[in-house]
Amino acid sequence: MAKITENTRIEVREIVLTFFAEECEADKSQINDNTSIIKDLDGDSLMFLELIEIFKKKYNLDIELKTIGKYAVKHPVETIGQLIEMQMLIIEHENRLLELEK
Amino acid sequence: MAENTISFVFPAFISDYRDDPSLSVPAFNDVFQAYLTMAASSVGNELLTFHPGSNPLLQDELLNQYISYIYGCSSAGILLNSGVKPVMTAGYSMGIYAALYSTGSISFETGLLFIQKAYESIRHTLPGNHYGMCGVIGLSEKDISGIAVHHNLNLAIVNRNSDHSFIIAGDSFHINVFLLKARDEGALHARSLGVTIPYHTSLLAEAAKLLSETVFTADVRAPEIPVISVLSQELIQAYRYTLELPCRLPLPSKP
Repeated sequence: MAKITENTRIEVREIVLTFFAEECEADKSQINDNTSIIKDLDGDSLMFLELIEIFKKKYNLDIELKTIGKYAVKHPVETIGQLIEMQMLIIEHENRLLELEK
Repeated sequence: MAENTISFVFPAFISDYRDDPSLSVPAFNDVFQAYLTMAASSVGNELLTFHPGSNPLLQDELLNQYISYIYGCSSAGILLNSGVKPVMTAGYSMGIYAALYSTGSISFETGLLFIQKAYESIRHTLPGNHYGMCGVIGLSEKDISGIAVHHNLNLAIVNRNSDHSFIIAGDSFHINVFLLKARDEGALHARSLGVTIPYHTSLLAEAAKLLSETVFTADVRAPEIPVISVLSQELIQAYRYTLELPCRLPLPSKP
């Protein structure tokens, strides 16, 4: 289980904002926690998939995509803030993500 | 510094037509209309009723393929006339015809003919609308096979976009069951593609034979730009492959 620090949160936030600014050709300074990924940025699940792969590589995460998918069914992600929170949980709990439900 | 390279990639069909391309390319609407008019004279005036923003034609599989092809040819025509030269081209599924047109391999009218004959061949050899296709993101090939085996679904993976992004085809009831089970299994995204033909499956083998009769007698030239087969990821430049390419409707199922 990875130890999450304030620096991790800052780093994750920076990666997420930079990623969506580039992928969606959006002004990074205009993206905040309340920005809707689909309505405001025209984002899609392929982008989500790519972002997960970036984090898996960066933090050497042991997690299956379907574990994230099962978690996301009960905890849908609509905004950038929700996505960052989910990403923090993925880094912290990896394949034990679903145990949070118990 | 690495030199920038450009490739043209053409869609199989259009599911939505939300944006106005003329906002970024002012000449687009005029060029598109010119191609639309040419196509209408070949395959029917119904195409002339198409209008971006109000597009019921996209609900018809054959008309949708024509529109997708016209959109691809218009875009390629504008870019090529502006001096934009791709190093290679590719077309998803039926997008191969716009790819071949953009390389100078076939004429615009020949592309329309191939689309029409492919559709007619399929409808002739595979009557009924009880087939479908879907896209699934977030599951592996093993996950997908597991769902199919566990629920006795007769489906085929017909395109692998990445290790976790696939296109699947088969009986429409089995597709619908698969979509439900895929979401339960943790797919990040799973949706029907809204077609009634199981493209790239062995179910289309007879249709491919019929289509080949048209392709082998058509005026098909070697492409000026390499074409990539999205089905096999092969680089296709030789004349004989160009002839075979439009016939490649079926893709055998993986064992």
